[in-house]
Amino acid sequence: MNKKRVMSLEEKLPSVPEAIYLFRSCTGTLQYPGVENAIRHICGLMGIEVIMDPDQTCCSGYLLTCSAYLPEFSLAVTARNHALAEKRNLDIYTFCNGCYAYNCEFAHLLEDQKTRDTANQLIGRFGYNYQGRAKVYHVQELYYRLKDRIAEKMVYPLKGLRVAAHYGCHYLLQEGVIDDFDLPTFHEEILQALGATPVYYTERRACCGYGVGKVFTHKEEVVLPHLLNKLSSIRDEGAQLITTVCPGCNVAMDREQPHLSQMGRGEFQIPVIDLGQLIALSLGASPVKLGFNANTIKLDGILEYLGIDKGAQV
Amino acid sequence: MAREKWKYLVKDFDKMVDTYGLAGNLRQCLACGKCVGDCPAASVSPSYNSRQIIQDVLDGNQKRLLASEEIWHCLWCASCYRACPSGIYFPMLMMQIRFRAVEAGFGLKYFQTYQKLALKAMTEGMTFVPREKGRAKVEKLRSEMGLSPWPEVSDKAKSEYNALFEMTGSKAWVDSVANKPEVPVDLNYSKGRINLE
Repeated sequence: MNKKRVMSLEEKLPSVPEAIYLFRSCTGTLQYPGVENAIRHICGLMGIEVIMDPDQTCCSGYLLTCSAYLPEFSLAVTARNHALAEKRNLDIYTFCNGCYAYNCEFAHLLEDQKTRDTANQLIGRFGYNYQGRAKVYHVQELYYRLKDRIAEKMVYPLKGLRVAAHYGCHYLLQEGVIDDFDLPTFHEEILQALGATPVYYTERRACCGYGVGKVFTHKEEVVLPHLLNKLSSIRDEGAQLITTVCPGCNVAMDREQPHLSQMGRGEFQIPVIDLGQLIALSLGASPVKLGFNANTIKLDGILEYLGIDKGAQV
Repeated sequence: MAREKWKYLVKDFDKMVDTYGLAGNLRQCLACGKCVGDCPAASVSPSYNSRQIIQDVLDGNQKRLLASEEIWHCLWCASCYRACPSGIYFPMLMMQIRFRAVEAGFGLKYFQTYQKLALKAMTEGMTFVPREKGRAKVEKLRSEMGLSPWPEVSDKAKSEYNALFEMTGSKAWVDSVANKPEVPVDLNYSKGRINLE
């Protein structure tokens, strides 16, 4: 084991696709729907068609890890979702680390002929056939690939805004990702291209603490102490904004800040948004369209700093 | 902590836990401790020790392991898997330990939350769908930013998702736990609760 995990971007994504099968994330579309608009805005400017499929369902990884689903179910669901993308001859692009990891992991398990036959037998009743042709990507790979073109089209440079990047766990642990697990830097490179100042903090690679339903069962024991470590180290470095690439991490870091303050663990007022939202903002998308109203910690200060009217309808 | 007597140890417990064969070869565990060093759950609850859990599985220390509070502390971030020089997929082992724990009647108070989420996801084709009040909030937010009020999930997707849930036996699994009584834990050791202080 411990195979080569990191591959170069050129190797993984030799050419920019003309159209992508955007995999709907449950948390993303329900909690921070602005991310969807941000991706459409970026892809629209870059000439990439975004296709979302109403027939696609949840990736079903999260509740499997909570031991509420059986692996057979999650494998069959993955095979079904992939079969839908295969039918359109598209590759899957996720905007959630969880969707990325589970889709990759289950596709990997489905390489086994016996597992694949079982899954195909189950979804065959509905007329699907899984062949394993669709590749799984994360939209952040696309951002990184396009970062120079994004920088050219920038409308609002980020004026040295101090941004702390959170990578999340489930993207970088997979095989065939574009950066190293221990010291990734590609978010910081994107941020620099946008004119922001990336902030390196101690707990940079720490988990957001929301895995496996811990927020429902062990909030006081596990989630809050963990987030306290993480957010304190971000605050100590003087970050103005946090970016994530996973709606789950975004929920954890955004929604829990008031709870930490209420418990007397210090004041936390650092807005948390998706990296895609930040890119789309600098590309001139309107804050209304990007849905910053969904955030618990408001972005008014950031918009003021960047000189963007928060009510602007573009 | 009182140690278990050898007569309680269960032979071939590792095979009983890893029924899907997803966890890799546990016997190759070097006990190097890299997994514990990288573990965010261990950093806030010191009694959580992935290396000890692997040892308990190999020893067949069934009762203590399944009844312990610690197995519910794992965040599934998979840092341990990434760090493991022997390629042990510890998160997959942890998932299956929890299957066994729930079967034995431990940790049901935690499991019931996930069970509710699972049953809700079945009708919606999505996980974490909020209740009435939350639903109105989502619809308002999405409409404001020019999106469809509710994420577009077709009825076909929902019905097929539901059918797969029943066909794969996941429904039977969730239902089998529904009215199970929680088995009291009679082990004489600390629950490993951590305060913020």
